[in-house]
Amino acid sequence: MFSYYLRLALASMRRTPVLTALMVVALGLGIGAFMTTFTVYYLMSGDPIPHKSAVLFAVQLDNWDPNSPPTESAKDVQPQLTWQDGQNLLRADTPALRQAHMYAAGAIVVPESGEPPFDETIRATSHQFFAMFDVPFLYGGPWDLRADDDRASVAVIGRELNDKLFGGENSVGRRIRLDDNYFEIVGVIDDWQPTPRFYHVDAGGSFADTEQVFIPLLRAVDVPMGPRGNTNCWAPLDESLPTLQAFLQSECVWTQFWVELESPEQAAAYQDYLDNYAREQKAAGRFPRPLNTFISKVNEWLDVNGVVGDDNRVQLRLSFLFLLVCVLNTVGLLMAKFLGKGGEVALRRAMGASRGAVFAQNLVEVGAIGVLGGLSGVGIAWLGLRAVESLYRGYQHLVHLDPLMLTTAVSLSVAAAIAAGLYPVWRVSRLAPAGLLKTQ
Amino acid sequence: MNDLGPIFRTLLRNKLGALLIALQIALTLAVVTNAAFIIRERAADVARPSGLDEPNTAIFITTLFDPKADQRQLYRDDLEALRALPGVVAAVPIQSIPVSDSGWGDDFYTTPEMTSDESINTGMFMVDEQGLATLDLELLSGRNFRPEEMIVRSLEKMESPRVTIVSKALADALFPDGDALGKTVYDEPNGEKPLEIIGIYDHMQNAWPSSENFEHSALIPALAMFGGQMMYLVRAEPGQRDAVMAAGEEYLARNRSRIVEIVRSYEEQKQRTYGGDVAMIKLMSAVISALAAVTGLGIVGLAWFSVTQRRKQIGTRRALGATRFDIVRYFMVENWLITGIGLAIGVVGALTLNWFLDTEYNTGRVPLWYLPLGMAALWLLGQLAVLLPARRAANIPPALATRSV
Repeated sequence: MFSYYLRLALASMRRTPVLTALMVVALGLGIGAFMTTFTVYYLMSGDPIPHKSAVLFAVQLDNWDPNSPPTESAKDVQPQLTWQDGQNLLRADTPALRQAHMYAAGAIVVPESGEPPFDETIRATSHQFFAMFDVPFLYGGPWDLRADDDRASVAVIGRELNDKLFGGENSVGRRIRLDDNYFEIVGVIDDWQPTPRFYHVDAGGSFADTEQVFIPLLRAVDVPMGPRGNTNCWAPLDESLPTLQAFLQSECVWTQFWVELESPEQAAAYQDYLDNYAREQKAAGRFPRPLNTFISKVNEWLDVNGVVGDDNRVQLRLSFLFLLVCVLNTVGLLMAKFLGKGGEVALRRAMGASRGAVFAQNLVEVGAIGVLGGLSGVGIAWLGLRAVESLYRGYQHLVHLDPLMLTTAVSLSVAAAIAAGLYPVWRVSRLAPAGLLKTQ
Repeated sequence: MNDLGPIFRTLLRNKLGALLIALQIALTLAVVTNAAFIIRERAADVARPSGLDEPNTAIFITTLFDPKADQRQLYRDDLEALRALPGVVAAVPIQSIPVSDSGWGDDFYTTPEMTSDESINTGMFMVDEQGLATLDLELLSGRNFRPEEMIVRSLEKMESPRVTIVSKALADALFPDGDALGKTVYDEPNGEKPLEIIGIYDHMQNAWPSSENFEHSALIPALAMFGGQMMYLVRAEPGQRDAVMAAGEEYLARNRSRIVEIVRSYEEQKQRTYGGDVAMIKLMSAVISALAAVTGLGIVGLAWFSVTQRRKQIGTRRALGATRFDIVRYFMVENWLITGIGLAIGVVGALTLNWFLDTEYNTGRVPLWYLPLGMAALWLLGQLAVLLPARRAANIPPALATRSV
């Protein structure tokens, strides 16, 4: 029966090709535009590390200027820590299962092969970073606590860089030159791209590539490698010290700090621990503001940092209204089309087709239009995402259509078409056959 | 307009169809006015002048990776070479680019007693005595930097500048009485790090387009040596920029202990800085065109179909003496009526949508004059869309009425 209805539907579409094309194009444009903005929104607000996002927490302390406005939520506190606070938290006897103190640095990689040197962003971090964020290794593994403490010249590199420098071979034990320092490679990371890159969401950098070079934190400061991300200061540096030393001891924030807390009890214990730390600092004359310490889970953290921009939300809202216009447009066209089918329907009813059968048959036709609209919508969404990719730098990890999105697009389109067609189809199946047949 | 009565009664017979188009028009008006408003706001932001000679300025960013190199000497050599390139007006070492979203912010205090919440925020640019010429700034009063005033700011040695040249906007914010020239400001509270304002220039934006103090900028005579990054701004004679960029890159790349990371025109940098706004402008324009197309084609489709449905009726009207023009007018008036109803609903929709966008995302309030403009545009769109099917209707021969009766 279904295939017969389908053949009828195709025959009916062929009879009104312009009207059918208009409906398919309108649905396609609406679905395409909506899927484009929705894909961007969905991936932006996606969980970058689903299996661990509930146990990973970003840490905030409030070391800021007593004269700046009062703090009401985590959004009002600096998203980064000073060097000294991060180091203090890392060394103390912490209740956390794992912790990582880090910052974004950079250097010039000088290939041994004589190829031209190039710039790389570097993550300077502590050894638990890799286990904490579940970083997959292709060769070797992370460095250990001793390497952190000894300020060892070791590095973990990414697969992409390993391909570029060593042709994809196991490079563990070989060395890499960063500026004029050599580092021994201890591990090679497999493809790893949490989206958004939650562990360091600087303005504009939330969808950046993960770094291709990781080195121990203290080693990076020894070089010294300056921070590449935002640096914010409110108090002057101590001029009696060399600039670097003064910077490390300053109230400038430029490092990130993450902890892994397995249970709510552990999280509560860590919150107490942070509060105690802040009180100690107050006693020592720092932290002039009221006590403000925050730990935020991954998804809360993305919210605190406003990773999904207002522009993205405006685009999503407007593209939804656009889809609504397209659906309304389709309803209108379907009404026109089905009212024009009165004669045919009357004939079928007179030949014995029940109202239900007429309803089902026409619904199949509407569904077929929906499928066609959905498919063209997928095509338009693909083009739309290419356009978005070229318009926004740093969106390359955001603009792919995954199978979920594809099925969503087609089902949304069918649903939209059926919603649009339900009333016209119902109307046409209620037509009294006798009256229409007489006028033929 | 004695057609109005019959047209209206016909509309009432197909209330739902008419209502659907009206609703579509209403939503279209709501989205189009808001999208057009967003476009204009963003375009106005992007169009704000930076103060630089935008079309003739180029940016060079290099990174030195040999720490043993004499960075100060390299600055000297580079500048001598860049300034000697044919077509170069002026060249300057600088630690951040105006309107690049990345720079150095600082707070100025006008008295030693001032607290940090009263201080005036500004963007700081480290340049030498060719700063004014390269950045295309006109000195309103005071003087330029002197070579002996140059200081060095590096990881080993952080010298403090003694003099500064500030934008008029910053001068007025610091000293509202307009007597900033020759005054002392403090870089830090409690009267620490005094600087004398030795000059005031007309206008230059700082690094951050979203900052409230975008027009606050200040120059200090300093060479930045934090890490190996060295940046130059070069201003070329009109038409010479691209040649200067090529020659400059060729020169800078000769030194093998550094890499030339970026050679970019200032115009391109500005497009990148405003990338989000440029993208929003393009996306909103796409939404407007797609909406106009869908709504327009929808009207064409419906009218086309309705002409097909009413062939006999139209033929009869023609046979009874209606001119072709009468038939065209019928469809035009019908569309005009439906669009009118839609626009009436759409005005409410547009204002509601704007209220929502403004409260949620601070888009700002649409000026009311957008509404009549959007309405006129949609009325025109409707009339144009219905013209083709209406002319087809007008071509229906009167003889049709006599057939198949």
